[in-house]
Amino acid sequence: MEEAKHAASIALENVTYRYSIGTPFEKAALQNISLQFEGGIITGLMGHTGSGKSTIAQLLNGLLQPTEGKVTIDGKDIWEDPKKISQIRFRVGLVFQYPEYQLFEETVLRDIAYGPGNMGLPQEEIQRRVADAAKFTGITPDMLEKSPFELSGGQKRRVAIAGVMAMDPEILVLDEPAAGLDPRGRKEILGGIRAYQREKKNTIIIISHSMEDMAIYADKLMVLDHGHVSRYGTAHDIFCHAEDLKRVGLSRPQITKFIMELQKAGIPVESGIYTVDDAYHEVLRVFGEKERG
Amino acid sequence: MEHQYIIEANNLCFSYKTEDGGAFPVIKNLSFAIEKGSFVAILGHNGSGKSTLAKLCNMILTPDSGTLVVGGVDVTRNDLSEDDIYQLRRQIGMVFQNPDNQLVATIVEEDIAFGPENLGIPPKEIRARVDDALRAVNMTEFARHSPTQLSGGQKQRIAIAGIIAMLPDCIIFDESTAMLDPIGRAEVMETIERLNREKGITVLLITHYMDEAIRADRVIVMNQGEIFLDDTPRRVFSKVDQLKSVGLDVPQVTDLVNRLRTDAGFSIPADILHSAEAVEVLKTLYQQKKLRIDREEK
Repeated sequence: MEEAKHAASIALENVTYRYSIGTPFEKAALQNISLQFEGGIITGLMGHTGSGKSTIAQLLNGLLQPTEGKVTIDGKDIWEDPKKISQIRFRVGLVFQYPEYQLFEETVLRDIAYGPGNMGLPQEEIQRRVADAAKFTGITPDMLEKSPFELSGGQKRRVAIAGVMAMDPEILVLDEPAAGLDPRGRKEILGGIRAYQREKKNTIIIISHSMEDMAIYADKLMVLDHGHVSRYGTAHDIFCHAEDLKRVGLSRPQITKFIMELQKAGIPVESGIYTVDDAYHEVLRVFGEKERG
Repeated sequence: MEHQYIIEANNLCFSYKTEDGGAFPVIKNLSFAIEKGSFVAILGHNGSGKSTLAKLCNMILTPDSGTLVVGGVDVTRNDLSEDDIYQLRRQIGMVFQNPDNQLVATIVEEDIAFGPENLGIPPKEIRARVDDALRAVNMTEFARHSPTQLSGGQKQRIAIAGIIAMLPDCIIFDESTAMLDPIGRAEVMETIERLNREKGITVLLITHYMDEAIRADRVIVMNQGEIFLDDTPRRVFSKVDQLKSVGLDVPQVTDLVNRLRTDAGFSIPADILHSAEAVEVLKTLYQQKKLRIDREEK
């Protein structure tokens, strides 16, 4: 049997991050925060605007350096040798919000190949990776030869994500990868990220505001509140604390609220339903019905 | 003369020009009319022409052919003066997606005053309009704040206030909640509904969120630059398969009851829209089922 691939875990240890240090605007975006993203799973990172999500994303791949504390991959400080921080950026891929504005190459193919090219990989390996990343992001072969600027916004988004996937990072951080996409686009992008994670068995962190999406696509959820971890666990652990979520500016999926209303109306459905699929099967169970072929 | 419609489009066409001299049609022979004071949601997949349509209505873009009548004035006429166009643009305000790209001043109330100042309104009236606009979006207490201290939802409400201060007849929201967290979205949606109800401002809401669209009086679904569906939210969202065929979805509760009806044979009406209705229907079905079981046991 093939040996299970080791998946890297990444952590913040007592991290404080201040910006505009030495000016009257100096402010702590994060104050003594500790958290760990487990290896080999998809974690949904959620929190209200200003809760520190994007600062954390930039700390994880070394774009920002903690003012105090450490960022560690498998326990090892990424800033141990600051000269080698660019190596960390190959290991921790970061897809920004609205990454479609960052495309610049002449063709889609060259844009996706840019990252792996910078890593000094052989041509064959680059081609293999581009094809692989294109597969997970739904980029068709005819799109590869086009200019990124001929593509729609949703297609450009896929190219930008593919470009980071092609670097095959041990840890991939995506900031709102589905923001502004139509429902089908959301499903395709998030489904593609999940399929990619299941094949590579690497570590993925998705920043999102959508409880509905994260209930489906994330393995674990982490909720931030003013720069601290307010909860961490499975969808069940998170969504059973409705009051908590409300306090931090988030809410449970619409379907979860609906199931609670059914309970109140005297229909004995179980709580702990977070997706339409689960709700469907639970209602059938309570009614003693079976799905028709 | 009072016009019944704020916007009337007839056979509107628009293409983006490609580099090689060709044209890429985005709006194809579109005709529709928006009633004054109505709340219309516009849905459609990415690239379906929603935003282009909004920019045509706001006169940021000019149609290739067809006519567009705003507030009774044909804006496609070529004898309009600059001043006419200013006046027309003032009538149709627009709020965009990114809260960080729409504020220009360093103090909230100065930002709101920016529009009316450019219209040459006397200072005293500007003051009154700014105060009124702040009240309309529930942001009076933030009048002297810097926009940088505000949350995304608050910034969007300031952007809306800036438009209200120009006394528009209609506001187009182009995915104005897409970048907000759930609380910010709720704040902005509540503001939009209130402006429509209390101030009679016509609302065109472009959105990808089906739960926002169900709050409108009317839903227009765009597909490939044409109108695919145009009806009440109740009737539009009962067409689950048609919506899914153009890359859209229905609200989660609608999705659930539709599956119960079509895949499991529950006798549920096809046009359930609000979750309270769905609860009632399922409750009745459940009680009937229990009665049946009780009788059988006897």
